[in-house]
Amino acid sequence: MSAKLEITGVYTAYDKADVLEDVSLVAEPGRITCLLGSNGSGKTTLIRSILGLTRPRAGSIVFDGKDITRLRTHKIVKAGIACIPEGRKVFPKLTVEENLRLGAYAEASASVIRTRLESTFEQFPRLGERRQQIAGTMSGGEQAMVSIGRGLMRAPKLLLIDEPSLGLSPRFVTENFGIIRDINARGITVFLVEQNVRQTLAVAHYGYVLSKGRVVAQGPTAELAARDEVREAYFG
Amino acid sequence: MDAGLLAQHVMNGLMLGMMYSLVAVGFTLFFGVLDVIKFSHGDVLMVGAFAALAAYTALAGQALSPWLMLLAILAAAVVAMGLLGMAIAQAFVLPLRTAPALNTLLITLMLGTALREAVRLFYPQGANPKPFPALLPKASIDMGQFNLRADNAIMFAAGILSIVALQLFLKHTKLGLAIRAVAQDEETARTMGINFTMVVLITFGIGSALAAFAGVMNGLYYNEINFGMGLLLGVIGFSAAIVGGLGSIYGAILGGFLFAALQTIGAVAVPFASAYKDVFAFGVVILIMTIKPTGLIREKISERV
Ligand SMILES: Nc1ncnc2c1ncn2[C@@H]1O[C@H](COP(=O)(O)OP(=O)(O)OP(=O)(O)O)[C@@H](O)[C@H]1O
Ligand SMILES: [Mg+2]
Repeated sequence: MSAKLEITGVYTAYDKADVLEDVSLVAEPGRITCLLGSNGSGKTTLIRSILGLTRPRAGSIVFDGKDITRLRTHKIVKAGIACIPEGRKVFPKLTVEENLRLGAYAEASASVIRTRLESTFEQFPRLGERRQQIAGTMSGGEQAMVSIGRGLMRAPKLLLIDEPSLGLSPRFVTENFGIIRDINARGITVFLVEQNVRQTLAVAHYGYVLSKGRVVAQGPTAELAARDEVREAYFG
Repeated sequence: MDAGLLAQHVMNGLMLGMMYSLVAVGFTLFFGVLDVIKFSHGDVLMVGAFAALAAYTALAGQALSPWLMLLAILAAAVVAMGLLGMAIAQAFVLPLRTAPALNTLLITLMLGTALREAVRLFYPQGANPKPFPALLPKASIDMGQFNLRADNAIMFAAGILSIVALQLFLKHTKLGLAIRAVAQDEETARTMGINFTMVVLITFGIGSALAAFAGVMNGLYYNEINFGMGLLLGVIGFSAAIVGGLGSIYGAILGGFLFAALQTIGAVAVPFASAYKDVFAFGVVILIMTIKPTGLIREKISERV
């Protein structure tokens, strides 16, 4: 089910200045790999690079043995990647159910989509109760559920998660980390971007620290917690 | 004014409103997926009408029944313009995506002129108005002082049907859902696995096919088409879409019928001549836009597609 993501020597720029410089990292199959870094360090840019939304200027991204660096976004998604994007990005004028169905857009079989929909409603009963509600009218926490559910509807091999707990209450944040653990327990490779250092290091297996577009530290999360670079990246 | 004449005016207004709505819906669809104004839209309508006429000329020797003939030329026009719409999107609209929207407006404005001139110069005697075959039954139902013509009723019903079909397609199919998703958030739609380019092409195909439909309707209604017919229809369709709020299909339909209603009121109420009906209608549209700059249906609260 799961697959490996290998990023090698990636440079990405929006205009002229490079936002990512020579970034190399690996998300091992079946594991949770986290990416830490302060605001503006380039975490979201890396996710955008993986998804082909902002194309790397140089370097390569290989997923499941396949070079996806130059593929168009929908092809990258078809390769088995899903994303829970920064800021949730639910389709505000579509219903909850339509949002979830879009998550499984790459899936051809209507009955498979229906089964996934039902299991999503089982996992998030709140979404089941509100399947016809317009997503833009839901609370922030509920929209986060829609975004997570939508990412899972893809039944991906690799799930990219960008700051899922931003703006959530502490209770929701804890719940979110539980969900991420569950997702991973199903065998899905997870690449997690988070600001919430302590909880992230507790849930992830391996971690990288990004600073000003460069990887400045990496290691098993148990070791990473004690490293100076982690402190610096957040408090320096 | 007697009731019969009034009913005649109302019928005429409804027919015009239907045509305007079909054009306006196209503008709304294009703006939905790509935030652009495709100004050649009215001229695509005109080319559609000429495509239907060309198909008629080609099939004239085949002794087809009028119904079959009508279906054949309608299919020819709709398919040909669907393809032309896709080609225009691929060649002129998508490549300009990163440029200011004004550039798209300008380039499609020029493209419209090119289409118009091409028909004028290359269609046999294209500079002259062309008679359009009357293929619908000529029967009419006598309703006191007013004759309800069967051809008008059929065209109106077909127009309604096509709009309902479009709505059902957008609301209940996977592709329709993809179009609505792209209209709301292109980037996130792409991360759902939606092929953005394909969605844009299909949307432009559908909008242009609707324009072809309106063009054939126009030919059947006036029994005449000419190379310049798309110009005013394009401007009116565009105004209708803008008045409706440029973003909702209902708004576009509302705008289309509103414009036709204004023209009709202009024709009936402006004392000396119906020649002032367009001046009146555009005048009111300008007034509406000054009072409600964002159109009648605000995009924020309405669905964009
Ligand atoms: N669309 C864009 N155009 C130009 N510059 C951008 C764009 N998006 C991001 N940047 C710049 O790239 C740098 C990295 O941004 P990015 O969003 O990747 O950071 P981040 O690590 O995700 O930050 P945060 O923790 O705040 O989400 C920032 O300096 C930002 O200003
Ligand atoms: Mg970010």
